[in-house]
Amino acid sequence: MLSVMFSMVSEIIQPGKSAQLLFLLLIGILGYTAYYLGTKGRTWEIRSLEGLEAMFEGVGRSAEMGRPILVLPGISDMGSPQTLAGITILGELTQQGAEIGVTTYSSNADSGVLTASEAVVRSAYAAVGKPELYSPGKYVRWFGNDQFAYAVGAAGQILADNPAVVVYLGYFLFDVIVDGETGNSIGAVQVGGTLGSMDFMSVFCDYILIGEELFAASAAISKDKNTIATIAGQDWVKLIVLGILIVGTLVSLAGSDAIVRLLEM
Amino acid sequence: MKMSSTITYVRNYLARFLLIVGLLAALASWYFVSPQVDAVANTMNLWNMNIYNFTLFVGLITIVIRYSDGIRKRVKNWPYMAYGLVLIVGWIIMGEYLGLYSDFYQSAYLSTKITLHIAILGQLVFFLVSASYRVVRIRTLRTAVFGLSMMAMVVLNAPWLLGVFPAADKISYWLLNNPSMAGGRALLLTGGIGGVILGIRLLLGLERGALKSTER
Repeated sequence: MLSVMFSMVSEIIQPGKSAQLLFLLLIGILGYTAYYLGTKGRTWEIRSLEGLEAMFEGVGRSAEMGRPILVLPGISDMGSPQTLAGITILGELTQQGAEIGVTTYSSNADSGVLTASEAVVRSAYAAVGKPELYSPGKYVRWFGNDQFAYAVGAAGQILADNPAVVVYLGYFLFDVIVDGETGNSIGAVQVGGTLGSMDFMSVFCDYILIGEELFAASAAISKDKNTIATIAGQDWVKLIVLGILIVGTLVSLAGSDAIVRLLEM
Repeated sequence: MKMSSTITYVRNYLARFLLIVGLLAALASWYFVSPQVDAVANTMNLWNMNIYNFTLFVGLITIVIRYSDGIRKRVKNWPYMAYGLVLIVGWIIMGEYLGLYSDFYQSAYLSTKITLHIAILGQLVFFLVSASYRVVRIRTLRTAVFGLSMMAMVVLNAPWLLGVFPAADKISYWLLNNPSMAGGRALLLTGGIGGVILGIRLLLGLERGALKSTER
């Protein structure tokens, strides 16, 4: 019976991708379950992220200093989850800033991200009841569809606008060091989060968001219990992965490749 | 500024519907073996391409409108906007008539782009020197761990150190192949999980972003 089931599955699913698909479904189910429990009133406490706290404090710091905030969502397009995380943080900071009169600027390297950023900023001003403050092209800038043009353009923007806080959340390459050093030269508090170039970010950022914290930040900053519930779902998945890692290590040390073969199914 | 309920509905649900269709198209042919599934996925991918091209077009229109406005109002640095606008139109016409992969188009594109890249790469040296100094300024535990690890790798790969301490490259390879690789994989794993959960939040309309309407 089991062998018939396996042969049926192998006929339907691409070879080597059954475990992947199963895991994807599991993440989806756990994520939704956590959200569902959240809607039913279950609440979760999440640990504070130092990068996130710094962003919160940064809004107040900007208000006290009379300087703006700059959010850079990286050099990728809207297809990158990192860019999406950066854009959602842009929306949150713009909204929080707009409530107390702090301006939030952004610049991007992709025309699609530019359009999305404009929509997010407009939404943020409308949400706090100040739609008249929004004007297209005032807060979001575009310096060309190229990583270096973006890096140099954003560096120029840092020097021109003199932000109190610079947030780097998205996909960056080594060119980000131009912006990071420029931000440091004006004494801005810098918060960074990315998946690939963390070593560069750690050099010039005061606070960093590591790994999935980049994606959790936008949920945590919103303080919405349903949104935070999805982070609990994320943690359940992490626990399962951790379990597989530990079991896999022990099984491998015992001389079996059962876990590896299971994951390669 | 209240949006009409129809526009709010369209912004909330149509965008999510398009996302689901796009995701299904990508996932179906990736995971399933079936000519029928492939045929449906190919058709969906064509629609995806159309949507993607449409968003590119929207982006281009946004930039043209912004630059045209800037030039008309003579805002700061408007001559650069005019230059950018002329270039955009020029490249589109040239690409349309000569083809993106024609020798002339490629030479013209690479000549302008690579010249700029080299100019910026030259300047990057100064930023790197300044950044190297900053590594030794420890601010938080996290940045210290990352910064010091990076500094260790740089020092262990320095040619002069190999002369006086030949085992340096063995240590650097061990660091790269063990703790660094494990750390890198952890970042990828957690990043991947975080990305999928972010996708779920977007589909559920929990993320405030371009897919969420202003009213809430």
